[in-house]
Amino acid sequence: MRTWSKSDHEPAAGGPGRVSRRGLLAGTGGAATLAAARALAPALFTGCAAGLPRGSKPIVAGLLHSQTGTLAISETALRDAELCAIEEINASGGLLGRPIEARSPDPRSRPLDLFPKRARELCERAEAAAIFGCWTSSSRKAVIPVIEEYGRLLFYPVQYEGNEASRNVIYGGSIPNQQILPAIDWLLSPAGGERQRIFLVGSDYVFPRTANLIVKRYLAARGVEPAGAAYVPLGHRQFTGAVEMIQATKADAVLSTINGDSNVAFFAALTEAGLSPEDVPVVSTSIGEDELRNLPQAHVQGHLAAWSYFQSLPTEANRGWVNRFRREFGYDRVTSDPMEAAYCLVHLWKQAVERAGSLDTKAVREALQDDLRFAGPGGEARIDPATQHTFKRFRLGRVRPDRQFDIIHELVDPIPPEPFPQVAFPGWHCDWTADGLTQGEEVVIDGDL
Amino acid sequence: MLYWIYDIPTSTFAALATGLAVAVYWVGAILLRPILRQFVKRTSGANDVVGYVLSCFCVFYGLLLGLIAVTAYQNAADTGANVTREAAALSALYEDVSRYREPYGQNLRWLLRDYTRYVIRYAWPLQQRGIVPVDGAVRVQAFEEKLLDFQPQSPAEEIVHAEALRQFNTFLEFRRMRLFSVHTGIPAVMWYVVIAGALINMALVWLFDMRLITHFVLGGLLSAYLGTMIFLIAAMDNPFRGEVSISAEPFEDLYAHMVEE
Repeated sequence: MRTWSKSDHEPAAGGPGRVSRRGLLAGTGGAATLAAARALAPALFTGCAAGLPRGSKPIVAGLLHSQTGTLAISETALRDAELCAIEEINASGGLLGRPIEARSPDPRSRPLDLFPKRARELCERAEAAAIFGCWTSSSRKAVIPVIEEYGRLLFYPVQYEGNEASRNVIYGGSIPNQQILPAIDWLLSPAGGERQRIFLVGSDYVFPRTANLIVKRYLAARGVEPAGAAYVPLGHRQFTGAVEMIQATKADAVLSTINGDSNVAFFAALTEAGLSPEDVPVVSTSIGEDELRNLPQAHVQGHLAAWSYFQSLPTEANRGWVNRFRREFGYDRVTSDPMEAAYCLVHLWKQAVERAGSLDTKAVREALQDDLRFAGPGGEARIDPATQHTFKRFRLGRVRPDRQFDIIHELVDPIPPEPFPQVAFPGWHCDWTADGLTQGEEVVIDGDL
Repeated sequence: MLYWIYDIPTSTFAALATGLAVAVYWVGAILLRPILRQFVKRTSGANDVVGYVLSCFCVFYGLLLGLIAVTAYQNAADTGANVTREAAALSALYEDVSRYREPYGQNLRWLLRDYTRYVIRYAWPLQQRGIVPVDGAVRVQAFEEKLLDFQPQSPAEEIVHAEALRQFNTFLEFRRMRLFSVHTGIPAVMWYVVIAGALINMALVWLFDMRLITHFVLGGLLSAYLGTMIFLIAAMDNPFRGEVSISAEPFEDLYAHMVEE
């Protein structure tokens, strides 16, 4: 049986102009429904709640470092330093109002096939705005054609031999005129003992060969002949012959460009032969805080290393960075010269993108050439617009018992980069703000020593 | 699926689900009730008949909702347990490799720390978006490579190494289960049944012969509860998504221990 409410039968009190209770309810309900539909429609149809911000599309930065294979231990540290910088940038609001997303594929320590392949993937699939990466010169040289093909920028943070120029590479590490030649100057100076019999020992690949060519010609220009030279294959563990040569030539100092695990055997052979750091100091150009962890302390204590940055640098900026890094990655982690360069390069890229107002490679490169400066842990980082290399300070450290370095010598001013030292590469010149690369006479590197 | 519901705050999602259910009921009470009433208006004692049908329906629907809610809870609990076990296995492995001679021990600890940090900082946000993180595999591979590189030089090192390898396998097992759980959720077909059931429930209430205001109040309350139940199930479903989800807390606790001096 149907029941009716009073309002269904009785005319509304007050005459025809008055609104009935049912009408009022219907009207209010309809209005409320419409209002709710209008408010909820965006959420229902677009998937966002009204008033809630949507995440903006991240900017992809490629971190091209080996995470497995023989180079992993060194390269992983660079990846961490770059992640540290990216996380700092994201925490402070991102880049152009967008977060940076780090993509770090693993080239598995295979420079010739996987490095260029992963670089291509980063440029093509991930649409990386910039790539930070590589460790060895062979990996960098394999990646450069890919970077140039896609018109991107490669930020290379490791010290290398120079003798190279690419518009698409920003070099963050030291080159011989910023690292090796000042070390030679120091060895020849009274502070370094005025050593005249410098022996050159290195791994047999492009960096030691080129660096030693430069050293030989630099010494010759100063009227000094190297005591001798020896090369061993990468990973070699037999150094008896090299040490015997050092003894036979009566060398009073050694410049070492030995890379990787071979250093363990080299320093062991030196110790076994009774060559002390006081008599024959070894100045290494590839041993940093990270490498020292793998070397017996008794074998390396007192020997020297030439870098632009040491973890023990007693500045507020450095202490702050080291503390932040260790808080994030662990109390026993160490920082090193290539890590500092990698960290600074990410921040310089950020500044350049902000100044350019876009991710366009040409605009970013122009901004990088526009006197950008970043107050890094090791001092002010600045790109030389002509060579796209970095101004670097020179510091010489002596190994301490705690596997850190005492800085015993430091140049006050940063050294301008000279990727083609005229003493070794006459006529070669690079100036991207003018004519680009000017080629001189061909220089044969292999077999010079 | 409407995965965006996990991207909004839980309180907003709850209000949205409840409000939507009430709104649907109210709109239906105004627009559909007069039509539906046509089917029962000549039936004597229509309210009683509708009441019996509604009671019967509610038993089945309640059972379905209850079972689904339990399933969603169980999924979340199982996934949470696996996450805890993975972190525990990782912790045991970290302790094992800490007994290795240097520099092996330090290198292996750094690699495990790297993995743990990746899980917290990068993998978890991806899981929360329903994406299976892939970069962790590289870190696991890097650790495995170094672990297998180690050559024990004494019986004690052999024992520690064997235990580390066993613990590593345990860790791999739970890691794989966590990754499988990223897509764990109630199948879409069950959601269709739940939504259809809620609409039928409302339709049955619309059949009651009551004043509109009574419909608004009683039907609104019932719909609000239905909306709340659906919100509850949806919030617990997909264990890694939304605010009501499994957190990376076991890994965070472990990492805090790993990085402290």
